[in-house]
Amino acid sequence: MNPTDEEKVRAGELNRRDFLKRLGYASALTLGACGLGLSLYDAKGPGPSEGQQAITSLGDYRLKELAAGPGKLAIVRGTDRAVMVEQGVKALGGMESFIGKGDRVLIKVNAAFATPASLGATTHPEVLAAVAGLCSKAGAAQVLVTDNPINNPDSCFEITGLAAAARSSGARIIAPRASLFAPFSLPGGKLLQNWPVMAGVFPGVTKVIVVSPVKDHQRAGASMTLKNFYGFLGGRRNVFHQDINGIITELSQMLKPTLCVLDGTVSMITNGPTGGSLSDLKDTGTLVVSTDPVAADAVGVELLGRTLADVPYILMAEKAGAGQADYHRLNPVLLDTKA
Amino acid sequence: MARRKTKVGSAQRFAGYGILVVLGLIIIGLLVRQARFNPAVNVALRVPLHGKSLAASGQTPSATAALIPEVEGFTPLAPGESFGPDNLSDKIDGKAELYLSAGFKEMSCRKFGLGAADKAYVEVFIYDMGSAQNAFAVFSGQRRPGSPSSSLTANAYATTNALFFTHGRYYVEIVADRASEELQSSLESYAKALLAKLPAEGEVKNEAALFPKEGLALDSVRLCSADTFGCEGLNNMFTGEYTMKSGKATGFVARRDTPEQAQAEAKRYLDFLAANGYQKVQTPGSPADLPVLVLDNSFELVFVQDKTLAGVHDATSREAALELAAKLKNELKGKP
Repeated sequence: MNPTDEEKVRAGELNRRDFLKRLGYASALTLGACGLGLSLYDAKGPGPSEGQQAITSLGDYRLKELAAGPGKLAIVRGTDRAVMVEQGVKALGGMESFIGKGDRVLIKVNAAFATPASLGATTHPEVLAAVAGLCSKAGAAQVLVTDNPINNPDSCFEITGLAAAARSSGARIIAPRASLFAPFSLPGGKLLQNWPVMAGVFPGVTKVIVVSPVKDHQRAGASMTLKNFYGFLGGRRNVFHQDINGIITELSQMLKPTLCVLDGTVSMITNGPTGGSLSDLKDTGTLVVSTDPVAADAVGVELLGRTLADVPYILMAEKAGAGQADYHRLNPVLLDTKA
Repeated sequence: MARRKTKVGSAQRFAGYGILVVLGLIIIGLLVRQARFNPAVNVALRVPLHGKSLAASGQTPSATAALIPEVEGFTPLAPGESFGPDNLSDKIDGKAELYLSAGFKEMSCRKFGLGAADKAYVEVFIYDMGSAQNAFAVFSGQRRPGSPSSSLTANAYATTNALFFTHGRYYVEIVADRASEELQSSLESYAKALLAKLPAEGEVKNEAALFPKEGLALDSVRLCSADTFGCEGLNNMFTGEYTMKSGKATGFVARRDTPEQAQAEAKRYLDFLAANGYQKVQTPGSPADLPVLVLDNSFELVFVQDKTLAGVHDATSREAALELAAKLKNELKGKP
């Protein structure tokens, strides 16, 4: 009877041939296990719902002549929001240069909280009314207003005064509902992969305007234009708070708006993003109109008395190609409505 | 029978080592990959758009909801809502981190209209923070500088449109959308009705007693639950701001379980300062020859006294750092 391998080992008789045989078996087993693992590995992670393809962009709504070059920026000083919006837009060529006849305009507001406008936690209704009014005057066929707020959407739009502002200016509110959300994957993105975003409000939309307040933010440092894009996300989006700068940078790639209006007439300096006390607010008397969301936020940071180092996502978004953080390079138009 | 040692050739040995190295690299690769957490993986696409309140989710109504009173003149505008640690951010977004890091248990809130015509909007929030110290942490962390203290409780202040206070383990905010003296008086009445529903507070700890009084802005005393001064892991630290002849500075004090723990945290903070470019400066006359660290005219000093970690942060001069350190050491003498 032939001795077994174990007996051979005990006897010190395991020869080169036996060793190579056993090495071959072990290697085959290892390769088999690796192959099985590879065959089961899903590099893309959980896929979208059946029959749905993850979208990769919400669109580029910039004017073609501005898309390649530097953006435009107007910084308007004053206290009357409607006048500031009007003069700021006029300084960039008037709303007619952005909105044409028949355009379908989507205005993204910050309606995150069901709190009155006086507390400064949301887009001020006067700014929305002014922007929507200018769009209609410029010939827009339809003006839509949307956000996916933190609190109950109906309460948010009503209590903030945004619903009334939309009604008075002929705009239509689109509140979030499940059918509007679709999986979104940012090409090369680490966080935005198969994540539900409110893509259903975009079909037919030809221009996008982002209207935001200037606020302190406990987690992000500041909440302004780029952070406002967060309101397109669905799902348990608070998980992204663990990498707030990363997610805002990715959001800056998701959408290229036509125009951004950043309202720092009164800014929430502390205790953001909710605030609560009127003492959290400060008259900063400035409204920014820009085609460049990064430049707009760079101005906003100064209104909060901070630097770009305090709000890292602005430089990260610039690096990702979303705009220009050194807003002086856009040769901003400076206006004072009180003069 | 004695077992003979197996003869292993050098080629076999190297092959064996090679396999072990490859396996080790695979394990390291897996660990690194796992550490790069992608939250999307854990989230199904069909989750609800909004977090449900505790009440809406059919769970047992929260204890704090029952503590919000209905007071004459305050007309409820909507049913109350309650939130737990999982969905607090559905109500207060990014500010939730402040509460969660301080031991948050649950929160209930309700909206009211106040007055007959042109009703003021009032919202009441009551947070159960689990302990009086946790409640003080969120109270002090959001304290609006310069706002007058209120006599409602030991830790209470008012702004022109709101009241903020702690009572035992509860932190309360009563916020209106406008400012007026009449409204302020109504808010106080509401606060008293709410306090009447809360369980007895027990012994109230005066957190400012940790600090020497002279030069201290009493309303600046804060409890930082996590990552004090940006130093990861430097938790549960009391801070207080001082104005002295020699300059301005922030004092800090933290009690630890053992002297060794206090020493270890002091070292961690000193390492953090060094990593951020702080350098030691000569300090003749410093208490117990403590080193002072400086960066861009901002001075830091750290010491340990028994189980207490203490020091000076962001002093505007070396003299201010030394003066406050001496005062702190003196104040802590003989305290357990």
